[in-house]
Amino acid sequence: MNAATDTPEAAARDRRRPSGAGRIALYATLVLLALVYFAPLAWALSSSFKERSEIFAFPPRLWPDPVTFENFANLLAEQPFWRWMLMSTVVALLSTVAVVFFCSLAGFGFAKYEFRGKRLLFDVMFSSLAIPLAVILVPLFILVAKLGLAHPLFALIVPWVAPAFGIFMMRQYTEQAIPDELLSAARIDGCSEFRIFWSIVLPLLRPAIGALGVWSFLTTYNNLLWPLVIVSEPEYYTVPLGLQALFGAEGRQYDLVMAGSILAAIPAIAVFILLRKQLVSGLTAGAVKS
Amino acid sequence: MSATTTTTRTGRRSSGQRQWAPYAFISPFFLLFTVFMLVPIGAGFYLSLTEWAGLGTPDFIGFDNYARLFQDPSFGTSLLNTAFYTVFALAVVLPASLLIAQALNARGLKLRDFFRLVYFMPVVLSPIIIALIFGLIFDGEYGLFNAVLEALFGFGGISWLTDPLWARIVVVVLVLWRWTGFLTMFFLAGLQNIPRELHEAAEVDGAGPVRRFFSVTLPQLGPVTAFIAVTMLVNTAQIFEEPFLLTQGGPGESTMSVSMFIYRAGFQRFELGYAAAAGVVMFLIVFALGRLSISAFGVGRTR
Repeated sequence: MNAATDTPEAAARDRRRPSGAGRIALYATLVLLALVYFAPLAWALSSSFKERSEIFAFPPRLWPDPVTFENFANLLAEQPFWRWMLMSTVVALLSTVAVVFFCSLAGFGFAKYEFRGKRLLFDVMFSSLAIPLAVILVPLFILVAKLGLAHPLFALIVPWVAPAFGIFMMRQYTEQAIPDELLSAARIDGCSEFRIFWSIVLPLLRPAIGALGVWSFLTTYNNLLWPLVIVSEPEYYTVPLGLQALFGAEGRQYDLVMAGSILAAIPAIAVFILLRKQLVSGLTAGAVKS
Repeated sequence: MSATTTTTRTGRRSSGQRQWAPYAFISPFFLLFTVFMLVPIGAGFYLSLTEWAGLGTPDFIGFDNYARLFQDPSFGTSLLNTAFYTVFALAVVLPASLLIAQALNARGLKLRDFFRLVYFMPVVLSPIIIALIFGLIFDGEYGLFNAVLEALFGFGGISWLTDPLWARIVVVVLVLWRWTGFLTMFFLAGLQNIPRELHEAAEVDGAGPVRRFFSVTLPQLGPVTAFIAVTMLVNTAQIFEEPFLLTQGGPGESTMSVSMFIYRAGFQRFELGYAAAAGVVMFLIVFALGRLSISAFGVGRTR
């Protein structure tokens, strides 16, 4: 493929790309669209520096006047925001490590072994993608509560550490990225199957692991419905829960919630920007190929 | 030659291990799946035949919950709303993201990564901040959008979030804004995977851009489209955050989704049996649709 692009025909092809008016329309559309995406975020950022009464000023003012850090200061003074943040981060990190491990392991099992019942088991696993959380919300809540497993650090993490989506993704990637010869060679050397996974396969899965890790971190970090149901003690609130409590309370504390969601978005956006290449290529690898 | 003998010797020892190893590797999923999904689904079926507020023992009442459910206009509304959101996701969000992907795939496009990054951003953000922003923008009295309409066209009095019809529209606009970039990324990866030669061959045969889109691009995108469609179907069928945070299901119940209905019945009104019954109905619909489309499109099959 790379060799082909070096040929003269390929160069000619590239020169014959659409030009003039079409190009301008294309860029105009893309820039306009980027504004549609960017403007609400800029608006949120700007609002978080406005005084409470200014947030809903009419007509709306793009630049806060006066610029105030009061919302952030009030939030941090009145609410245990850093505690929420700590809880969210701990839950998201622990989940992510476990998700990456269990999904890679199961993905490897489905990709590189032949065993009785494989097809059926794979179908069962894949079908579980089509079970909405709301369906099991009530019985799962009761089960977890009755078994005494409702401690947030358990209930927010353990039930979700082997998501079918992640296993599917890792299987797709493993099939493409791990040559069978490598596994046979390791077996000749007398490696146990788990050792093969741990020291040979896992390092080669790094790009997909990056993608799955980012994905898992972000979804756990932003998760709302399950924490809303299972966490009742305010000392175990995650950021979305804490903000939702403020937001749901009488009077909708727009000023505090806005400041809080801006602060909460910083780690998410940082993780995303740092690992975006991996996220995009890893997430899409499975969907494109199968 | 000596390698062959080694293979057979260690090969036999590890071939035993090779037989049970895959079961061990996939067992964590099946353990969790059984405990935290299959058992709850079974328990949900049982619970749906009872009346229970969470204390004491559930009272068995047969199919009363189901009879009540089908006469409950709130449940009907939530089903219709969810169907509307889902159809919108499949009929508008999906094609929109394909178009954007097509634009991003233009040859020699500059700043492609930048555009993709910006469009993808909403997926990264917490739904709370998104709902908050949309609440600000679409506020009926002080919202940015009404102010813009007022400035451009001289009218801006639409009560976006307090009118039942407009509130539904705002919810789907939120869905569109939040998910289009995510799907675009998948379509773009699919488009970049289509061999250029196919397009050239069609071009030589005299096919114009539209023709090429329908007879080359679309068929080649089959697997990606199927994957996205199934994911989007299942995700939107369980939509919760968007209407819950933006409108609390209101005005009245006009934007309420099935997930919200279940949450309200179970955790705000403590009618656990009733909530479980709604869960069973949702399971039957979504799982049937999901399974059907998975096998119809052949998603997840090994090549």
